[in-house]
Amino acid sequence: MDVADALTRSAYCAPRQIIITPEKQVTQLSTPVARSVPAAIRSVLARDRWALAGTVTVVVIGLVAIFADVLTAIEGHDPYTYDATALAPESGLPAGSFGGVSGEHWFGVEPLTGRDLFAIVVHGARTSFLIGFAATLVSIGLGVLIGAAAGYLGGWIDRVITWSADVFLGFPYLVFMIAIGAVVPVEFPRALLLIVVIGFFGWPSTARIVRAQVLTLKERNFVKAARVLGASPWQVFRTELLPNLWGPVLVMATLSVPGKIGLEAALSFLGVGVLPPTPSWGRSISAAIDWVRVDPAYLLFPGLALFAVTWGFNALGDGLRDALDPRSVTRR
Amino acid sequence: MSSKKLLAIVLAGALGVSACGANDQKPSGDTAVKPGKGGTLRILSESRTLNLDPAKSQSLAITSLGLVHRRLTGWQNAVGQPAKVVPDLSDTGKTSDGGKTWTFVLQDGLKFSDGTPITSADVKWGVERSFAPAFGGGLGYHKDLLGGGDYKGPFEGKELDSIKTPDEKTIVFTLTRPYGDWPWIASTPAFAPVPKGKGAEADYHEHAVASGPYQVETYTKGVEVKLKRNTNWEPAKDQVRAGLPDAVVFQLGQEASVVSQRLAADSGDDQTAFASSFVSPAQLAQLQGNPSAKSRVVTSKSGAVAFLSLNTQKAPLNNVKVRQAFQYAVNKAAYQVASAGTAALAGDTASTLITQGIEGREQFDLYPSKPEGDPDKAKALLAEAGFPNGLENLSLVLNKSNNQTDKAEAIQAALARANIKVTIRSLEADAFETETNLSDNPTYDLILSSWQPDFPSANSNIQPLFATSEIGKGGYNTSRYSNPEVDRLIEEAQSTVDPAEAGKKWAAIDKLILQDSPVVPLIYTRNSFIRGSKVGNFYIADFPAYPNYLQVGITK
Repeated sequence: MDVADALTRSAYCAPRQIIITPEKQVTQLSTPVARSVPAAIRSVLARDRWALAGTVTVVVIGLVAIFADVLTAIEGHDPYTYDATALAPESGLPAGSFGGVSGEHWFGVEPLTGRDLFAIVVHGARTSFLIGFAATLVSIGLGVLIGAAAGYLGGWIDRVITWSADVFLGFPYLVFMIAIGAVVPVEFPRALLLIVVIGFFGWPSTARIVRAQVLTLKERNFVKAARVLGASPWQVFRTELLPNLWGPVLVMATLSVPGKIGLEAALSFLGVGVLPPTPSWGRSISAAIDWVRVDPAYLLFPGLALFAVTWGFNALGDGLRDALDPRSVTRR
Repeated sequence: MSSKKLLAIVLAGALGVSACGANDQKPSGDTAVKPGKGGTLRILSESRTLNLDPAKSQSLAITSLGLVHRRLTGWQNAVGQPAKVVPDLSDTGKTSDGGKTWTFVLQDGLKFSDGTPITSADVKWGVERSFAPAFGGGLGYHKDLLGGGDYKGPFEGKELDSIKTPDEKTIVFTLTRPYGDWPWIASTPAFAPVPKGKGAEADYHEHAVASGPYQVETYTKGVEVKLKRNTNWEPAKDQVRAGLPDAVVFQLGQEASVVSQRLAADSGDDQTAFASSFVSPAQLAQLQGNPSAKSRVVTSKSGAVAFLSLNTQKAPLNNVKVRQAFQYAVNKAAYQVASAGTAALAGDTASTLITQGIEGREQFDLYPSKPEGDPDKAKALLAEAGFPNGLENLSLVLNKSNNQTDKAEAIQAALARANIKVTIRSLEADAFETETNLSDNPTYDLILSSWQPDFPSANSNIQPLFATSEIGKGGYNTSRYSNPEVDRLIEEAQSTVDPAEAGKKWAAIDKLILQDSPVVPLIYTRNSFIRGSKVGNFYIADFPAYPNYLQVGITK
């Protein structure tokens, strides 16, 4: 799904998510407006079967990524070893029907190399999750800090940050990433580079939402009280603001993970992502496009994996947003 | 010497002269319909540049450069016959002293596209111009032989004394030593005429003065080059160019796989087009189910030797034991499959530097093992050399075009079996040149490339890749191999005018070099090309493994 769209929608509902510190809950007990984050997750999983399905998908693929080595050991292949015996000698295509799917090779093999496609997809999940999560962490972390600073401190800091965020939002970051990918020496760890670059460009949308949230929070009495009692901005941020930001931040994070995974796949598709032979869904999809007419299975498996992860995170994120935003109508 | 790594350049820029009259060719894989005069031929090129500057060109005598520029001599090639050197601007040269002094006489009445006569002084100017540092990167077989060690080109006001032009039609070359293959050298791009005094500007290739059947009409950088007829070219005075189409359009920067698909579909303008890049393995596999497209694919019988270059001047590959380990570590069978899907389409596995079909070639294998390689033996050799845990972090650089990345991954996986860890860097053609053969102190460890001899002699297999003089400065000794004994033997073999005797000497050099293992020969590549249904006389002769652009025409 389109991440920008999701973020706009959460921005729209964000001011309504009034919340959640223990002392506040007492006063709001009678209204259904707000819930704690764990309670919201529990309720959304209980009520919203799409969110549940998304969560299951994400958890399953997450486990696959974590236990990639175990799974490929069970199957008996790794994603790096060439195996000419799995290929048809007259064409270099996978031997057997549907891309060579068999008990030996669960997802078939790559044409021309005979590498096991199941191993490639499973290890590709590891690449995708690592980069997706880490880049999200970077962008959300930066976004929360910068956004809270802008909202709470105000003045020229706010103006500079808002202006920078506008510039970054309009920045052709994909072109920039391609350029960076092309000039950084190969010795530099690729995964780290992708995490930093993808994560860095994600901060402005988070920062905007957090800033808006903080602007309303800072006029609330418990924040004013803390300030009057002499709390430093950092203390106010940690003890008063942050606990009230978890809801929207979690929604944003969930909704931005698939975007980051998709971006990694896009960069690998364009040849500037993770380097071979590290498996990557994007690179596999890129290679498979040439083969789609004669070996559609090659495109199908990495494509399905990317689709499933993207859909899973979006379904979960949508459900969470519905649960944390009392005004939206929840799907059943 | 077009190497495959150069493919982009060679293909796009190919030049050449080909053979003789269109009428006596027996095109392989072509329809019986003979092309007529007229029409627009489209050449779809993967490269973003088309170099029409003779001084900077690596093109073969029968490809793109040959459409615009003639040379002193040309090539006649046909299926089933050895390539011959034939007259082009001049005769094929005469020597009176055993190959040291060569005299060429130009035909009467030759004119440039601007109407001025082509004289021997213009040919001399063209050769001198190739010595200018600003116009480097072209084939340089002539440079040493003409004694141009310190010569910096004609733009500094000095002439090259080894070239004399006693009259407007005669040109005499005095070489530093006897050289039997000189008539072939006279067919390389630098021997195309450039009007005396012109061509000082870096973008000369965009408006080069033509001597061949076509001249540049428009040159749009990175997009398209249109050639129109050169009305001052007379077919009767040119036996290597048919000059059939009225116009030739090079479309640049075309993705190879997209181009193959377009040509397989064969609709509209693509019917009169062919691709200068190879048909990719994925496309070859798909075309098996498309009889129309399959009939329009032409595959060469043999071609370049594909090899892995080992940087002999950089640790740890400066150790001969380490380099020999690579001979066993590679998996030539996997390389074949990665190249074209099957061994039959990819070409035979290679163990010598001299390519198939070259006079004097001896088949031998100093490092015998299965086509899949022998990782255990490689590990043992590495352990002997003091690397019991293998090698880490070697960088393998390659030119992106023609599916090279897939092939490099096959090499990477094969080397990993012997605990040799390699990182691949795929570069565009220009960046690749900058980092490899133009760099004085390159950082690469390995290069994947291939080499097609520039003329059918073992000399052209060996000297450009292994002579000390070819290291850096645009030379193709990418293994940076320097062995005084080999240099001496190369000179000796070059001076041998009798082909059979020279052939024996080259075979001995081949073995001697491989003992030092500066490169790992992988396969003798076969090249497959695809054309549109209205492109006629599109054939690949025994040499070289590229179609002859100069004979191609449009059928009605």
